[in-house]
Amino acid sequence: MPLRETNIVSGAQTKFGKLEGLTLREIFAEAVDKATVGAGIPKEDIQAAFIGTFIPEMLVHQGHTAPLLADYAGLRGLPATRHEAACASGATALRAGIMAIESGLYDTVLVAAAEKMTSVSTNRATEALAAAADDEFESSMGLTFPGVFAIAAVAHMQEYGTTEEDMALVAVKAHRNAAKNPLAQFQKEISLEKAMTPRYIAWPLKLFDCSPISDGAAAIVLTNNERAKQYTDTPVKIVGTGQASASMNLCDRTSLTSFEASVRASRIAYDMAGLTPKDMDFAVVHDCFTIAEIIASEDIGFFKPGEGAKAVREGVTALDGSKPINPMGGLKAVGHPVGATGVKQAVVLYRELIGEAGANQVPNHNTAIMHNFGGTGATCVVNIMRRADA
Amino acid sequence: MSERPTIEQYQQYIQDNDFHALKCKSCGAVIAPPKGMCYSCGGTDLEWTTVSGKGKLVSFTVIHIAAEEFQDETPYFVAIVELDEGTRITARLLGLDPTQPEKVKLGMPLKIDYETGKSGKVYIGFRPA
Ligand SMILES: [Zn+2]
Repeated sequence: MPLRETNIVSGAQTKFGKLEGLTLREIFAEAVDKATVGAGIPKEDIQAAFIGTFIPEMLVHQGHTAPLLADYAGLRGLPATRHEAACASGATALRAGIMAIESGLYDTVLVAAAEKMTSVSTNRATEALAAAADDEFESSMGLTFPGVFAIAAVAHMQEYGTTEEDMALVAVKAHRNAAKNPLAQFQKEISLEKAMTPRYIAWPLKLFDCSPISDGAAAIVLTNNERAKQYTDTPVKIVGTGQASASMNLCDRTSLTSFEASVRASRIAYDMAGLTPKDMDFAVVHDCFTIAEIIASEDIGFFKPGEGAKAVREGVTALDGSKPINPMGGLKAVGHPVGATGVKQAVVLYRELIGEAGANQVPNHNTAIMHNFGGTGATCVVNIMRRADA
Repeated sequence: MSERPTIEQYQQYIQDNDFHALKCKSCGAVIAPPKGMCYSCGGTDLEWTTVSGKGKLVSFTVIHIAAEEFQDETPYFVAIVELDEGTRITARLLGLDPTQPEKVKLGMPLKIDYETGKSGKVYIGFRPA
């Protein structure tokens, strides 16, 4: 069944990075304020809040976060619910918002997400992130998150000839795009040589293949067709949404060179939208590691299996390429406050589609796809969006 | 009369250097690590089985930055190994040099072994056959 009613009418994010002196609720409230009153949408119009955050229990010692965050952001009294799916927490909150609008239960809802990661040590953050993998059978053996994607990289290199340099080129592109994005954690270009610095985190993945530890928040407002025009002249419609799960364990996956939840969620979203990869002008994918972007670009159908690296080498996925990917810099260079990422991706699609992405604007911007990944790829959410006037 | 195999027992077998997998009583599929049902046939009646201990290397990494608990053991291999019985497990890779990962060949034959970590915990491992 196609989606008919869901419109994004505003979207905003905080700066990503080490937001010193600000706590989780303050970061969250900043994003909410920008996406509501900052966009001319009174908070009184919001009827429910769907909130994504991954692991505040370990990072800031706080559970039951949805009412706490909603209250601080001036939304006291509303139904506020937290959605958790590791790094895909944000996009699962978004899907709950989509279902709320499509069902007709609410006219206007807020989807917002946040994570505060830099207030603990890197070891503690690593330990918190590891909770998104299977503790009993994999993490307990010393497998780390970068290790999971390193194993996929080794398989991809063996099967398709992808190289460490191909992966480094993804990092170079990410930094080049983020250098123009004032909200990015790293606003500095890097050379290929620097990206290839052999500081191994999990061989063959090096420091510059990995997204950083970040703080940040993002928020969007969803509303139905009847209300959309009262908030903006350029609403963006969500025309397809897909979600799938897979085994947590890497060893239970049939393929290590493709993530089956990505393939499945993409197919559902394309079918719902009645569109194909050819119809997409650009993509925002979950590049928690450089190899993850290459594999995602294949899993969402932009390139044939094994041809994602070639597309990077040839500049196809660059900001001015024919299929731009992560035009604002991705998780790799903009930062990855894990629970917030899925909503931030929706904000990027919104800004690009309405033509307000500034120096990061892609040339063609009618239709686009976002791909948000949870943990080891055990959750994937894919959404397809289109400018209402396109 | 058999009791349902538990994850605790699976882990204990590894600690005792005596790896056991599960076997589906309906279709004979060998399953490890444990799952609540057999994905080959949908059966839920599972029992313990021993395995040949032979397999091949599917993929691997060398961990350099680990969680605190494992940092003293770095660099170490973590691999995906396919057993001759068909199931894949995540394991340490032993008897190879973690500073020369480019020399490790995917598909190489392996045999089961065990490694005791610095914490005293036993990991399931594989070394070249
Ligand atoms: Zn069976």
